[in-house]
Formats: sequence, C-alpha cells, structure tokens
Amino acid sequence: MTGPDDVVLDALEPDDLDGHTIDELADYLDAGMQPPDASIDDSAACQNALAALVRLRRSSMGSLDAAAEHEAPADESWIGGVLANISLEARAGRDVPLRPVAPTERPVMTEGAIRSLVRTAGDVVPGVVIARCSLEGDVTELDAPVRVLVELAVRSGVPIHAVAEQVRSAVAGVLAEQTDLVVAAVDVRVRDLLHEQPDADRTPHHDDEEDRA
Amino acid sequence: MQHQPLADLDDAVLAGRSSDGDVRAFEVLIRRYTPLLRAYARRTLGSTDELDDVVQETFITAWNRLDALDDGARVKSWLMRILSRKCIDRIRARHVHDDVTELEVAAPDDGAPDRVAEARSREEAVETALAELPDAQRRCWVMKEVLEYRYEDIAAELDLPVSTVRGLLSRARKNMIRLMEAWR
Repeated sequence: MTGPDDVVLDALEPDDLDGHTIDELADYLDAGMQPPDASIDDSAACQNALAALVRLRRSSMGSLDAAAEHEAPADESWIGGVLANISLEARAGRDVPLRPVAPTERPVMTEGAIRSLVRTAGDVVPGVVIARCSLEGDVTELDAPVRVLVELAVRSGVPIHAVAEQVRSAVAGVLAEQTDLVVAAVDVRVRDLLHEQPDADRTPHHDDEEDRA
Repeated sequence: MQHQPLADLDDAVLAGRSSDGDVRAFEVLIRRYTPLLRAYARRTLGSTDELDDVVQETFITAWNRLDALDDGARVKSWLMRILSRKCIDRIRARHVHDDVTELEVAAPDDGAPDRVAEARSREEAVETALAELPDAQRRCWVMKEVLEYRYEDIAAELDLPVSTVRGLLSRARKNMIRLMEAWR
C-alpha cells in the first residue's frame, strides 16, 4: 500500500527530516535551493518532502485554474454593469487645446480622445494592432512641439518595416486632420509579435465577432 | 468603422490599450479573467452573493489604476492581488472579532482525509483539502502559493506579525501535505 514516496510524508518533524523542519525546506525551495545545502540535498527524507512540496505548489496553482473552468462565463448584463461603472475620465489624461475660432472659445480635446484617434487610424493597417500610444511634450500648450510614440503589436509574417511606415503616416495624417497638435515626430516601435492562438482558445469567442461588422 | 477583433490579443496589448482608455480592450480582459477571479473570491469568501460585487469592484479599481501596472503581461496576477485586498476588506467588515487576525490552532476534522480521497483529480483534491483548512491558514496558503506573495507581503496585507504568518503557513503546510496523502 505504501510506495517509495510515502515513507516520510506523514512524518513531518525534524527527527524524520534529518534535522530539518518542513518550513526550512519550504524556504529552501523558495530560495531556488540556493545556496546549496548538502544536508538537504543529500538527504533522501528531505528530497521526498521537497518533492511533495513541489507537487503541492503546482497543484495549488492548477487548482485555481481548474476551479475557474467550473465558473460560468461572465454574464453579459453583469459586464454591462461593470462597464457602466467605470469612469472614462479616469483614463482621459490631459486636456489638449484646439485652436479657437472665436476669441471667447477655449476648445479642448482630451488626450484619451487623441489616443483613440491614433488607435483607430493604426488598427486599420492589416496585421497590426496598436498596443499603446503616448504623447510626449507639453500638450496642454497650443503650438508646443509634441512627439507621438506609438507601440505596435504585429502579427507574425507581416513585413514589419512596411507596416510601421503605414502606421506612421496614417497616425500623422489623422492628427494633422483632426487636432491642432504640432507633431515633431511620430515614433513607431514594434513591441509585441502576435502569434496565432491555439484553436481551442479561439472558437468560443463569438462575442467580438459582431464588432467586426 | 472597421474594428480589429481583440479577443485573441495577449494580455500586454490589452492592458496597454485599456490604460490608454480603450473600453473594448478592457472588456476583453473582463471576459477573460472573470471566471478566475470568481473562483479566487469563492475560495476566499465562500459561495456568497458578494462574489459579483467584489469582482466588479476589482475591475473598477483596476481600470482607475492601470497607470500603476508596469508590465501589462502581468495583468492577471495584478488583478488577483487587487481582488485579494478587496476580499480581505470584506472579511474584516463581516466580523466584529477580526477573523483575519484570528489565530486558529484548529485542524481539519477526522472526516477530511476521506473527503479528499474521493477527489477525481489532484486539482480537485487540493481544492477539497483547502476547503478543510481553518480560514486563516487557507488565506495565508492561497496568498503564498497562488499569489506568490512573500511572508512580509502577507503580513502587511493581513496586518499580522511575520512570525504569525510563518506559524499559520507552517500549520497549513503540514495539514495540506497530510490531507493530500489521503488522495494518493
């Protein structure tokens, strides 16, 4: 009934672990078993206990993922409720002035709205998804020069230089057309490579399909 | 207007876009991690009608604090840590006697090994064994082994001395090893 692993595991006191406590062994594991301790490394009892700790750690992690699979997918109306409760202002950033048409006007556009323009312009380029966009410089000052940094994720197999150039010109175009920013440069940085996801992860995602229309 | 499908994008891209104010990207993160967060909350709070609320609060706090997330690829563990704090707050609010700091010396009851032994997988066995632990031990165990907190982090979150956390984890460790023996 007992296998070779079972010998020490029910006995977790130092007498059973060649003088070590189970907690010392857990700390040793946490430290990546460094620096090496021969009194642990050479002890069969300690090695068995360490193996049990490793199994336990792995299955503790795995058990939450397994439990998540038993949870129902997020309810649509609940998701709607969450989204209704988040504040767009929290992510709006700075107010960026537009050139007034009349002296009494003080039109502004939020940094968040400008980032949204940039995303929409860049996402149109095939094989590219905009990961982040930041405006560097004093955007709250009309006519102050601004550098635009656009970070991209590019699907594998897409020619990087060509799409980066397309994004740069699309972004520069939309900013010239719809804002009064004085754009000193649009820097494009490819940050991620997007790999095709395994099929199992794609099939249930009908929810975003409707956004494509 | 043509939109890119976002559902298959990785966490780093989605977190970046969310931080820039893209609600659609954030919605994908909500869909992706709600079951995991609910499972975590259920493990910490039990099956109560608070689960929806505490997960919702987690996402709202996360949205407001996306600037503080340095590495978008770590959004999953970051969300779990936010959730963990919210769960602890709820546990504190439930009891006049602060259950978070209660020092239990209780152990799983005699029937616990049999219940663990019935599990059909190692993961299910761990889930069952965890449920048999006294609350304070389970809480520390999950923070240590699932959230990968250090002893000092757990002590700070629970407002306990590090020595107490070590003691709780020591008991949790022995209980878990013994309970899991029943399953093998």
